[in-house]
Amino acid sequence: MAAAGAFGVTPHKVSVCVLLQMYAPPAQAEPLFSVSQHNHLGLYLLAITKSHGDFLEPKLADLLTQLKDISGSLGDWLIEHLTNRLSSLSSPDDLAVLFSEFRGTLGGTESAVIEDNQVVLDPNSYLGMFVRRCVLAFNLLSFEGVCHLLTNIGNYCKEALSSCLPYELHGLDDSVNDLETSSAYENMDLENFVFQKVTEEIVANKQASQRNSFHLHTSKALSGLVEDVEIVAGSLYNHAGNSGETCSSSDTIASGTRGADTSGNMFLRTTSQLQGFFMEQADAIEKHGCSFPLNGFEVILNRIKNLAPELHRVHFLHYLTCLYHDDYFGALENLQRFFDYSVGIGGFDITPVPSQSKGFERYETGLLCLGMLQFHFGHPKQALEVLTEAVRVSQQQSNDSCLAYTLATICTLSSEMGSSSTSGLLGTSYSHTATIGTSLYFKQQLFVLLREALKRAESLSLKRLIASNHLAMAKFDLMNVQRPLLSFGPKASIKLRTCPITVCKELRSCLHLVSEYASESPTMTIEGAFSTAWLNNLRSPMGASVLSLDNGVVESSNAFQFCAQPSSIPRSVLQLVGSSYLVRATAWEIYGSATLARVNSFVFATCYLDASSSSDAALVHAKLIQHLATFQGYKDAFSALKVAEEKFLSISRPVILLLKLQLLHERALHRGNLKLALQLCNELGVLASPFNGVDNQLKIEASMRHARTLLAAKQYRQASEVAQSLFCLCYQFNMQVENASVLLLLAEIHKKSGNAVLGLPYALASLSFCQSFNLDLLEASAKVTLAELWLSLGTNHAKRALTLLHGAFPMVLGHGGLELRARARLIEAQCYLCDPSYSVVEDSEIVLDALKQASDEFEVLEYPRNGSGSFLLDGSGLRQAGTGGGKRRSFSFIQETHTGS
Amino acid sequence: MSSKENCRNELRTAIRQLSDRCLHPAAKWAAEQLVGIEQDPAKFTPANTRFQRGSSSIRRRFRTNEIASATPLTPIAGVSYVSTPVMEEDEAVDNDFYLLGKTYFDCREYRRAAHTLRDQTAKKSVFLRNYALFLAGEKRKEEESIELTGLGNSEPTNCELVTIEIELSTLRKNGTIDPFGLYLYGIVLKEKGNQNLARMVLVESVNCYPWNWSAWSELQALCSTPEILSSLSLSNHWMKDFFLASAYQELKMHNESLAKYEYLQGTFSFSNYVQAQIAQVQYSLREFEQVEVIFEELLRNDPYRVEDMDMYSNVLYAKECFSALSYLAHRVFMTDKYRPESCCIIANYYSLKGQHEKAVTYFKRALKLNKNYLTAWTLMGHEYVEMKNTPAAVDAYRRAVDINPRDYRAWYGLGQAYEVMGMPFYALHYFKKSVFLQSNDARLWIAMAQCYETDQLQMLEEAIKCYKRAASCGDKEAIALQQLAKLHRELGRFEEAAFYYKKDLERMEAEEREAQNMVEALSFLAEHCREMKRYEEAEVYCARLMDYGGPEKETAKNILRGIRGDTSLPSMDVDHFRP
Repeated sequence: MAAAGAFGVTPHKVSVCVLLQMYAPPAQAEPLFSVSQHNHLGLYLLAITKSHGDFLEPKLADLLTQLKDISGSLGDWLIEHLTNRLSSLSSPDDLAVLFSEFRGTLGGTESAVIEDNQVVLDPNSYLGMFVRRCVLAFNLLSFEGVCHLLTNIGNYCKEALSSCLPYELHGLDDSVNDLETSSAYENMDLENFVFQKVTEEIVANKQASQRNSFHLHTSKALSGLVEDVEIVAGSLYNHAGNSGETCSSSDTIASGTRGADTSGNMFLRTTSQLQGFFMEQADAIEKHGCSFPLNGFEVILNRIKNLAPELHRVHFLHYLTCLYHDDYFGALENLQRFFDYSVGIGGFDITPVPSQSKGFERYETGLLCLGMLQFHFGHPKQALEVLTEAVRVSQQQSNDSCLAYTLATICTLSSEMGSSSTSGLLGTSYSHTATIGTSLYFKQQLFVLLREALKRAESLSLKRLIASNHLAMAKFDLMNVQRPLLSFGPKASIKLRTCPITVCKELRSCLHLVSEYASESPTMTIEGAFSTAWLNNLRSPMGASVLSLDNGVVESSNAFQFCAQPSSIPRSVLQLVGSSYLVRATAWEIYGSATLARVNSFVFATCYLDASSSSDAALVHAKLIQHLATFQGYKDAFSALKVAEEKFLSISRPVILLLKLQLLHERALHRGNLKLALQLCNELGVLASPFNGVDNQLKIEASMRHARTLLAAKQYRQASEVAQSLFCLCYQFNMQVENASVLLLLAEIHKKSGNAVLGLPYALASLSFCQSFNLDLLEASAKVTLAELWLSLGTNHAKRALTLLHGAFPMVLGHGGLELRARARLIEAQCYLCDPSYSVVEDSEIVLDALKQASDEFEVLEYPRNGSGSFLLDGSGLRQAGTGGGKRRSFSFIQETHTGS
Repeated sequence: MSSKENCRNELRTAIRQLSDRCLHPAAKWAAEQLVGIEQDPAKFTPANTRFQRGSSSIRRRFRTNEIASATPLTPIAGVSYVSTPVMEEDEAVDNDFYLLGKTYFDCREYRRAAHTLRDQTAKKSVFLRNYALFLAGEKRKEEESIELTGLGNSEPTNCELVTIEIELSTLRKNGTIDPFGLYLYGIVLKEKGNQNLARMVLVESVNCYPWNWSAWSELQALCSTPEILSSLSLSNHWMKDFFLASAYQELKMHNESLAKYEYLQGTFSFSNYVQAQIAQVQYSLREFEQVEVIFEELLRNDPYRVEDMDMYSNVLYAKECFSALSYLAHRVFMTDKYRPESCCIIANYYSLKGQHEKAVTYFKRALKLNKNYLTAWTLMGHEYVEMKNTPAAVDAYRRAVDINPRDYRAWYGLGQAYEVMGMPFYALHYFKKSVFLQSNDARLWIAMAQCYETDQLQMLEEAIKCYKRAASCGDKEAIALQQLAKLHRELGRFEEAAFYYKKDLERMEAEEREAQNMVEALSFLAEHCREMKRYEEAEVYCARLMDYGGPEKETAKNILRGIRGDTSLPSMDVDHFRP
C-alpha cells in the first residue's frame, strides 16, 4: 500500500529534475544566466512543483511552451538541452547515470568547498527535497520499474516531438508509427468528444436556465412586463452576461480533459498537488452551485478514480457535485462510499495531507455530513435523527471538535426549520404538539444549545466555528426576546425586548476572525494556489485584465488574485465574515435603518463577493434591488434586476426569481392590476415546498401578499380570513417578527373595511410586538396606521392622530420607503383638514406641502389610485382655502387627476 | 429442441471449429454439453450408459419418465427454433502458417503466434492473429499490474485493444468479419467501455454462430437489467435457452431460471454444467439440502471439478459439516491449489473452525488470484466482523458492493458493521438497500427490525412493520412472531400481543420446541384472557403453565385463584359476609 499514494518517478519529474540540474549546474559549468533569468527559472520550477491547476502532470509540449514564455531567448537553449537530455536516454543504465547526476546537484551538508559562483541546492529546501525524493523513488524501483520509466519517457518525448516534426518520425519506423498515428486519431476523437460534451453541457445549462427563468405558464407575460420597463438592457446582456460565470469553471474542465489519452502515458501529480486540486474544485463547486458542469467534471473524476483508486477524496467531490445538482441518490451513494472507504483504511487517506489532521474522516464526520445532506434536501426529521446519532457517536469516540460542529449544525437546522417540526425530536417528548409552551420551551432549548455550542467551540479554539456560532447567536438574538431562564423571584425583572446591542456584539466578535487569520502564516494550500495562479498568469497576462474590464465585479476580483499578493486569509474565513455583513444588513433592515442596511450590503458586495458562494451573492443583490425599489421606484429597480438576472442566470434562481415576483406583485398592486397581482402571488406560493414546516418564510410571504391583493380588491372577508390563518401559522412556528406585520395587516384590513374600532386592537398589538422586537420602522408604520384608525373614528380624534403621526415622523422620513412617506404625508394633511381648530385659509401651506410631497412620491411609485386620492385631497384643500388663485389651482389639479387616472 | 441427434451433430462440429480458433473455454463448454446429452437407450447397451454415468440410475429413470410425459421435444410455448446452418470453413486444407501459429498459440506464445500469422488473409488466421494479440495484451496487462504496484498508480490497460479494434471495425464495415471476429470485437468494445455497441456486436455474433458459449456469457455480463435483456433481439436457438437461464439467474429471477434449467435438463440430462447451475439457483433459494445432494452427485461423476465448489463449501459451512468441508478442501487443494475457489474453500473451513486470522489469509490469497471475486470480499468482511475489526470489514464489504451493487449480503454486512459500531440510524440505510434487493429474506427484515428497536432509535412502529414482513417471509427461527408479541405488549396493545403470542405458541407446538418463550407466552395469555374475562381460555393456559416448575407455577396458581375469585364473585361476597 505504501507505494500507491507515494511519490513515483514519472517522465515529467525527470524533466523537472533535468531543469533543476540546469538551474544548479555542477561546479565546472560556466553560469549561463543573468541573475534575473536565473531567479525567474527558479520561481518557475518552484511553481511547477506546487501548482494544482490540473490533476495530470503536464505534457512535454506544454512544459516547453511554458519554458519559452518564461525565459525568452534563453528558452530555446533550455528546451534544446532538455529534449536532448531526455531523448538521449536509450538504455536503463542511462537512467541510472542520470539519477546519480541529479544527486550531484544537491549540496551535501559537509561537502567541502563551494565555489563562489556555484549554485547548490540546499538538500532541505523544497526543491532539494523534491530532487531527493525523486532519487529515492528511483533507487527503490525494480528493474521492471526502470524499464517502464524508460518506455514512458520515450512516449513522453515522442508525443511532444511528433507534434513539432511529424515528417521525420514517419520516416523512422513505419509499422510502429502507423499504430501511433492511429491511436493519436483515437485520442483526438475522445478529446473532441469530451470537449464537445462539456461545451454542450454549458450551452445546455444556459438554455436550461433561460428556460427555467420562468418555468411557469405566464412566462411570456411576465417577461413582457419587465421588458416594457427596460428593453434596451435585454439584448445587450443576453449574450455577454453568462460567460463570466461559467468560464472559470469550464476552464478547469477544459484543462482537465486536455490530456485525454487512452494509452498509459497519464500520470497524476503528487498527492499534495492533487489534494490542492480537489480543494480548489470543491470551492468552485460550492461557489458556482448548480452551474458547475456536472458531466464534464464527472469524466475527470472517473479518470482520477481509474488512475488512483486509493484516492477516496474523489468520492467526496462526486458527492459535492451531486449535492449541488440536486441529485439526492447520487449524493447519498457517494457520501457513504467515501466514508466506507476512507474509514476502512484506518481513518484517514493513506496520504495524509499536512493541513489536515489525521483522524478527520471518521464515522461521526460521516454522520455529520449525512445530516447536512438531509438538511440540504429538506428532510429535517431525518437530518435530526442522523445528527443526534452523530452527537452520540462523537461523545463515545470523544471527538470533541466533531461534537462542536454537530451541535452548531443542529442549531442551524433547528433555527431554520421552525419549532413545530423539530420540537418533538429535540426534546424528549413526542406527545406535545405546537402549543405555546413547547414552542417557548423549544426556543429556550435552542438558546441553551447555542450557548453550549459556542462554549465548546471556544474551548477547542476552532476559530471558524466560533465565528459561525457567534453568527448563529446573533441571528437568534435578532429574532427572539431573551427571557431569563429562571423567571421567578423578586430580582427577575422581565423586560421583554430583543437586545440589539447583543446582536451587534455577536456580529463584531465574528469579525475578530479576520484579524486572527491575517496574522497567521499562509498555509500550504494557499501557496499552491498562488503557484497555480502564477502559472496561469504566465499563459495569459493580458487576457485576465481584458476579461476583468468586460465582466465587471466578479472578474476584476480574479484579476486581483492574479496580480496581487495572495491574501493569507482563507476563502472560507472571508466567506464567513462576508455573511456576517449580510446578517448585519438583515439586522438593520429589521431594526429599520435603511441606510445602514444598504451600507452593509454594499460592504459585502464590494469586499466579499468573490469569496462568497453564489447564493449569498444573489441574496445581497436581491437586498440592494429591493432597497432600490422602495426608495427610488420601480424603474431603477427593474433595470438593476435585469443586470442581476444576467449575472446569476443559472445559479440560485429562486432568490432572483423571488425578487422579481415580489417586485412585479408590488407594482401590479400599485397600478391596480389586481388580476395580475393575484396570479403573481400564486406563483410565489408555488415556489415554496409543499411540506409542512419547510420554507416557512416563503409561505408567509406568499399568503401575506395574497391577503394584500384581496384587500386591494376590496374583498375584506377573504382577506381577513387569509390574514387570520397566516397569523395562526406564525403563531404556531413562533415567528414573532412576522407576527407583528401580520397584525398590522389585519388592522389595515379592518380599517379599509370601515371597521376602525376592530382595527385598533390589532394595530396596538402590532405596535407592542414591534416595540419588544425593536422593529422601529415597522413600529413607525404601525403608528401611521393607528393614526389613520383614529382619524377614521371621527374628527375629534384628529389631534391625537396628528400627535401620533408626528411622533413617528423622524423614523418615517429618515428610513421609510416612498410609499410609507407618502402615506404619512397624506394622513398628515387629512388630519389638518379634519381638525376643526385648523383653518385652511390661514395656513394653507402646511397642507399643500404635505400633499405635494405625497403626490410626488406616489408618482414615482406609479400609484394611480392613491395618487389621484392625494390630488383630490389637494384640490379640496385648496377649495377650502377659498382664495381665487387657490380655486384656479384646485381646478387644474382636479383636471390633471381625471386625465391621469 | 431440434432433436438430440441434431444437437449432438451441431456441437461436434462446433467443438472442432472452436478449437481451431483456440477458443478453448467455449470448446470445453460445448464438449461438456455434448457428453451431457442423454444417449438414446435403444442404441446403447445399459453398460454403456452406466459407463457414462455412474450411479443414481433410479433418479435418472425417474427423471426420464417425467420428461417423457412433459413432451420435451417441442420447445416451450410452441416456439420453433431456427436452424442455423453449421458454418462452412472457407478453406479445406489449412495453411501451413496457420498450423504453426496455432501451435505457438497452444504453447501460450501469443506474440509469436500473432507474428507468424501477420500476413495471412484467411478468416481463421485473421481471427487467430487478433485473438493472440488480445491475449498477449491481457498477459502483459497482468504482469504489469504486478510490476506497477511499486510505480505509478494507474490501472494497467491492455495496450493492444486499439489496434485490434481498428482492424476489426474495418473488417466489420467491409462485411468480411466472421462471428468469431465479432465476438472478439465485442470483448474489445466492452473493455473499452462502449457497452451498447458491444452488446450489439455480440448479439450479431451469437445470432450467426450460437455455439460459442463465451460470446453468450460476455453478452450476459452486459445485461445488467431485465429491460436490457428483453430488448435484445436474439434468434431462437436452443443455445438461447442456456443464455436466458443464466441471465435470469444473474438478475435474481430464480424461479424463471430454475424452470429453464429443468427444461434444458430434458435434453442435457447428464450435463454437469446444468446440474451445477441448478445447484446455484437452489442455493439462492436457500434449499441447502437439494444443493448438497446435487453436489454429492457432481463430485461422484467429476471428482476433479473445482468450479462452483466454493458454493458447495458454503452449504457445508452453513450446515456445519466440519469433516465434509475439510475433505472437500483437501480435495480441491490437491487438484489445484492456485484457484480462487480452492482458497475460498480452505478459508471457509478455517472460518468454521473459528480460526478467523487464517481464514482471512486465505481469502486474501483468493482475492489476489481474482480481485473481483465477489464472494471472497463479502466473506472476508464477515471474518473481519468476527475479529471485531469493523473498519476493515466495512472496507471489504464496500468493495464487494462496488463490484456488484446487487449483492445483498454485502449490503447487509455493511449495515451490521455500522450497527456494531453503535450507529443504527446510519446502518438502516444499508439494511434498506439489502432488503430492497432480497425482499423475501426474513433474516434481513429481522436485522432491520432489531436496528429500529435499538435503545438509540426506539422506533418501535417501524420495527413492528419489519417484523411483520419477516413473519410473512417465513422466518425460520421464529424470532419475528415473538418480537411482535413483545413489542405490542410493550406498546400496550394487548389484543395484538395476544394474537401474536397465540401464533407463536401454535408454532412452537407444531415444531415441538420447549423454551422460555413458551412460559412467557402462556403466562401472558393467561393473564390477558383473565382480564378480558375469557375465563375458560385462561384456565387452559394456566393449566399448561402449571406443567412448568418454579415461579411460573406460582403465577399460574395466582391467576387461577384470581379467576375463581372473579367468577364466583357473588358467592365470595356471601362467604365474606357470613360471619
